[in-house]
Amino acid sequence: MIRFEKVSKTYPGQGHAALENVSIDVEKGEFVFLVGASGSGKSTALRLVLREARPTAGRVYVAGKEINRLAGWKVPRLRRQIGTVFQDFRLLPNKTVNENVAFALQVIGKSRSEVTRVVPETLELVGLEGKGDRMPDELSGGEQQRVAIARAFVNRPMILIADEPTGNLDPATSVGIMKLLDRINRTGTTVVMATHDHGVVDQMRKRVVELSAGQVVRDQAQGGYGFSH
Amino acid sequence: MRYTFTELGQGLRRNLSMHLAVVLTLFVSLTLVGLGALLKMQATKAADYWGSELQITVWLCKDRDANASCLGEVTEAQKAAISKVIEDNPEVAGYHFETKDEAFEKLKETYVGKFDGPNSIITADDMPQSVWIELKDPEKFEGIKSAVSGLDGVSDIRDERDTLGPIYSAINRLQWGSLGTSLFLVFAAILLVANTIRLTAFARRREIGIMRLVGASTVYIALPFLLEALVTAAVGVLLAIGALVAFENYVVQGQLASQFVFIPWVDWSQVQVAVLLVAVLGPALTLVPTVVLTGKYLKV
Repeated sequence: MIRFEKVSKTYPGQGHAALENVSIDVEKGEFVFLVGASGSGKSTALRLVLREARPTAGRVYVAGKEINRLAGWKVPRLRRQIGTVFQDFRLLPNKTVNENVAFALQVIGKSRSEVTRVVPETLELVGLEGKGDRMPDELSGGEQQRVAIARAFVNRPMILIADEPTGNLDPATSVGIMKLLDRINRTGTTVVMATHDHGVVDQMRKRVVELSAGQVVRDQAQGGYGFSH
Repeated sequence: MRYTFTELGQGLRRNLSMHLAVVLTLFVSLTLVGLGALLKMQATKAADYWGSELQITVWLCKDRDANASCLGEVTEAQKAAISKVIEDNPEVAGYHFETKDEAFEKLKETYVGKFDGPNSIITADDMPQSVWIELKDPEKFEGIKSAVSGLDGVSDIRDERDTLGPIYSAINRLQWGSLGTSLFLVFAAILLVANTIRLTAFARRREIGIMRLVGASTVYIALPFLLEALVTAAVGVLLAIGALVAFENYVVQGQLASQFVFIPWVDWSQVQVAVLLVAVLGPALTLVPTVVLTGKYLKV
């Protein structure tokens, strides 16, 4: 589903590489943790999958397509197959929960009937039934992240990318979010989650890819966060 | 689509003062461009009628000519002799004869309705024939003037430079003045459009970020910006057209045309050309920077 082939990425004006000769292969339906210290290259790897950035060398494949060769106008189509969740939720503060989730469908031209059908379904899936008319600032952090996950998943993407989704949440709330991501993973969606939350990684016992200074230093099935941290 | 139009409405309200500034600069600059074009057409039209600075007109004798040295209507032999002299002169670029009928037609065009019909006080017979001579250099006219003036059948020579020179140079200066001023204003309008886009892109950065992330197409993201640009352009263009129409109606037709009848003034067909120019230029002025800048600010 996602394949990195000897990928290197150097940002202009920076001496050292953000990623160096990284090869990772993520199968369809897998759940992968991307761990490592800040600046180890996790976010860069996720940006490459979304084609927010292009590799300096090597190839990135998503769903069988080499995406660094993708024409600019095809990039939106790629991103419709990928849901994205961030540490800071990135909800629109002046829209209700329903509107926030519906927004993701409206802007890619889905019909109104589909929007009114799918949005409540998805809110139910993430455990927010009955809260569709709330504004984001009336919700707890965990609930806001659920809205963000609903928005990322409402279009039923093949891949869900989560960049530190529990970074702003307390441990108990984080467990709930992880259960939700696990449930989404069980529907067949490939989940890639960048984190440095030890507890979460150790508890889930999923595949762990550890980056350090832009290089893969560990790729372990059913791993823990690791010893050095 | 519904989203696009709500967004358009919001965008127009959010930056109302900015949009007004764009509309006003567009309005003034487009009006000046239109006026410049009208002046240019006015100059051409006057030159067609009066002859350009490069022309001198030789009036030939007619029956009962005011010039006492004329002995009746100019003869074909005299005309042949005159054209021989003109042809041999090195300062001449070209020339043509104007018949009595042609001269009368011109007169009727200037004074519409006054000399129509069989009972007109002036008829084609009262008009003199003439030769219109194009000079290579407007400064070198003395040679041809003196060569022609003594010939039989020549009644009078009109040197256009003295009378038309100041008028043409005034029109010319006004024309370049309005076009030059409009150039600065057009530049200001483009900068204002650019600023508006920057402000809007900043105000909507969350929405735009999410749209890009969930895979909205670039066109979809840029559409509200383009529509905003089109709306401001449309308003600016309409105001400018209004100003041009008012100028033609109140200034040209209402004042100049009735006071200075001896000059043919720009009419509605020329105004149409100016309006067309403004209608094309206005949207282009806002859309081109918008397309360039949305490409820059909204890069996927």
